[in-house]
Amino acid sequence: MALKIPCPHCGPRDYTEFMFGGELRPMGGAPGQGPTAEDPHDDFARVYLLDNAPGVQRERWFHLFGCRRWLELRRDTRTNEVAPGTAP
Amino acid sequence: MTSIDFEGTPVESNEGDTIASALFRAGVRTFTRSLKYHRRRGLYCLSGDCPNCLMTVDDVPGVRACTTPARSGQRVRRESGSPSTERDLLGLADKAHRLMPVGFYYKSFTKPRWLWPLVEKVIRRHTGVGTLPVDQLPQRKGARHARPDVLVIGGGVGGLAAARAAAGAGATVAVVDEGRFAAAIPAGPLRRRIEDLAAELRGLPTVELLEQHVAVGIYEGPTVPCVGPHELVEVEPGRVIVATGAVEAHGVFAGNDLPGVWLGRGAARMAGVHGVAPGRWAVAVIDTTEGLEHLAILRSAGMRVAEVVAPDAIAGRVPAGIPVTRNARLLAAHGRGRVESVLLGTARGERTVACDSVVISLGYAPRDALVRMAEGLPVSAAGDVVIPGCTVEEAEASGTRAGSDAGRADHAREPAQAPLGAEGYVCLCEDVGVEELRAAWAEGWTSAEILKRYTTTTMGPCQGAMCGGHLAAFVEDHGGAPQAQGRTTARPPARTVRLEDLAGGVNEVIEKRTALHDAHVAAGATLDRSGSWIRPSTYGDVAAEIRAVREGVGVMDVGTLGKFLVAGPDAPQLMDRLFTCRVRDLKPGRARYLLALDEAGYVMDDGLICALDAGRYYVTSTTGGADAMEAWLLNWADRWHLRALVLNQTSMLGAINVAGPRARELLQRLCDDDVGPAALGYARHGDITVAGVDCRAIRSGFVGEVSFELHHRRSSGEALWDALRGAGADMGLRPHGLDALDVLRLEKGHSYLGQDTLPDDHPAKLGLMWAVHMDKPAFVGKTALLRMSALPLERKQVGLDFAAEPQRGAPLYAGDAIVGRVTSCARSEALGRWIGLAWLRRVDGAFPARLRAGGIGATVVDTPFYDPDGARQRA
Repeated sequence: MALKIPCPHCGPRDYTEFMFGGELRPMGGAPGQGPTAEDPHDDFARVYLLDNAPGVQRERWFHLFGCRRWLELRRDTRTNEVAPGTAP
Repeated sequence: MTSIDFEGTPVESNEGDTIASALFRAGVRTFTRSLKYHRRRGLYCLSGDCPNCLMTVDDVPGVRACTTPARSGQRVRRESGSPSTERDLLGLADKAHRLMPVGFYYKSFTKPRWLWPLVEKVIRRHTGVGTLPVDQLPQRKGARHARPDVLVIGGGVGGLAAARAAAGAGATVAVVDEGRFAAAIPAGPLRRRIEDLAAELRGLPTVELLEQHVAVGIYEGPTVPCVGPHELVEVEPGRVIVATGAVEAHGVFAGNDLPGVWLGRGAARMAGVHGVAPGRWAVAVIDTTEGLEHLAILRSAGMRVAEVVAPDAIAGRVPAGIPVTRNARLLAAHGRGRVESVLLGTARGERTVACDSVVISLGYAPRDALVRMAEGLPVSAAGDVVIPGCTVEEAEASGTRAGSDAGRADHAREPAQAPLGAEGYVCLCEDVGVEELRAAWAEGWTSAEILKRYTTTTMGPCQGAMCGGHLAAFVEDHGGAPQAQGRTTARPPARTVRLEDLAGGVNEVIEKRTALHDAHVAAGATLDRSGSWIRPSTYGDVAAEIRAVREGVGVMDVGTLGKFLVAGPDAPQLMDRLFTCRVRDLKPGRARYLLALDEAGYVMDDGLICALDAGRYYVTSTTGGADAMEAWLLNWADRWHLRALVLNQTSMLGAINVAGPRARELLQRLCDDDVGPAALGYARHGDITVAGVDCRAIRSGFVGEVSFELHHRRSSGEALWDALRGAGADMGLRPHGLDALDVLRLEKGHSYLGQDTLPDDHPAKLGLMWAVHMDKPAFVGKTALLRMSALPLERKQVGLDFAAEPQRGAPLYAGDAIVGRVTSCARSEALGRWIGLAWLRRVDGAFPARLRAGGIGATVVDTPFYDPDGARQRA
């Protein structure tokens, strides 16, 4: 699989330089608040029931062999076409 | 003049020879025995397409002798036949086709049931497909990536023209070809054109020429692994142009596999490139203009053409003096083990013509497997592969179109199909004849894909290059349903590939060394890989190293630990929300054991957190978890929008663990700071200066004795190490490595994450709930732990005492049932017994306490095994 990822700091780089951070999910806890005690069912759905949808997916990648920063990506899971996502 | 070693006999080879041409010149005619019926097979295509010349070369089986250059000293032997390929008793199988009917492995030898495994062994040996060398280490090849705009596969006229056009349009280009350009083409206009085009490209800085590289297949991306003689090149081009040409159509008639039957190009190559006449006198069956050109080449090598069989359009152009039979059909080739005559069907009846070779030029089968496997990818084609049988000029024009503009690439033109006779081998690789296809059809296997699977047609080394078109034609001729027709699916790899080649580059890994590496080497340490780090496992005497820590003092290089500085106004909040322990109440100067859980509540990593001054923390993680820890810290800081900075200090700082009952005494010799129990008690840390080196000393307890982890600037590592070793010499100080650590930590019941734990271990399974402060409002993984706490604990980690030496990894039995597995074990001299850690499953509502590990009795006991109340490490 060839996939080039546009890193906002390093430019387009091979996906093998990155660590996959999974599809972008709602967070445990709101920004600025941190995780709060959640309903266990909601938590379960959030952690386990991924969309894994064919099509454009928002996901996070960590540039391990590069700037060591996270970035967000929009990737079409069917074609591997990628575009930068919004900054976190 | 060089020579190769052919089955113990030296065989001379000339410059430019392949293994096949050298052997043929020396008189070898039988190159292989066929898979099922052990029929003699000789050279046929001479282009790397058919399976007739697969040999074992320097212990590597399945090498195509016809495309492999001959090299001095090469050891070549044939693979099939017993006792030998030349005199093969298994050739009797050819007299007994009834024993192996089509699909025999689905229906023969099936009753009684015990018979098949025995028969299968015999059959496997019988096939003679070579033997894998199992006593050799694979060759280590390097790998590199290439990312041209355009990759051209195939260095003929079409491919090179495409490369020239693409380069002319400003693209970077790579051209891959299995051999050297033009090397396999007889002298003539085609060869000259290829050489001219290659010469034009050689000067261009934007064109990379990968000769003698095999494009194995086209994968998603597109990615095209190209196996070269010394390296694997993973080409990731913007687009691909396939110009792999066409192979001459395989002729299907009775006796079509006898040695002496040649494809026209193969015969011309043997005569024109290697200067060896393919036979003494030939019958040539010619349906193509190119076949006419071959005649001159064959005659110039001294071959007599006894007769030409050709349609009217061609017949008129056959050189004078050669007898021509118009509009006849080649019905059969006859002979015992080689061609002795052919049977022609003419308007005036059948006629036998004596000859020792049959040269057939019946049409073309495009080498289109790469195109067909690349659906949905930016792959186009040029030359012979889309215009089978095109002229040199047409190929060049086609290549130029494909190279300059992807959208204008040619669409595949259907090749004229070589006729399918009533008899003969359709699939040479798997020994499948027309009769067998008919039998399978009669059994009800009436679609191309199913026929393929049932008869294994197209499933051999040629991957359908010779027979794919014939199989499709057979289904069409027999009135297969529309959806049952057409070519079968093409998948990579398209060419034979060795796992060793695809594994190119896997040995190229990052190797990290600590600042003390040279000191370890000088001390004679045994070094081993630990993740990407090189670390000492022992300095020679593991037992003495353990004793030093338990009775005096030992030092260990722990510079590989993950080390992070976390700072910023929101750092306390970040730490508190991430880790399972309370952080906000951690006073400067105190350290705490930390667990990092993922959102599913499973243990990811552990380490220590030290509170520095206001809002700054120093966090350590395991060696193997350092990268993941950094990513994890940064991810949450990002996503929560917290003002906290994470600085990975793993490779900036070194760390030496000084441990043992006399560790404090040793430090006092080298340090003016107060290292006493009040200032630096257990789970405290402080900045001290040891032998002039500024250190952060952390009182940790992994090995179960008083221990000081001295974190320091990497550049001061060796000075500190030497000072410690010098000052401790009279205390019996020893450095220790991972082997001693493994026992020391096991005596304390500490897990190695990943070795003693499973990916779905939450803290309760590991007995680590003491490190989880569930009264905190929230931390990552808390909700999952709450959710799981409602479920019964089905598996947990336990400590074991063994009656004798156990095996790590041994299954644990309670009665006859396997209920767990030993994950660590060792002989503890301090305790005088065998101890270990294991995971254990609940049986009938309770965890069994009396077990057997293999044949060894095991009892569940509490951990820590050594110093259970921790008095020694707290001192």
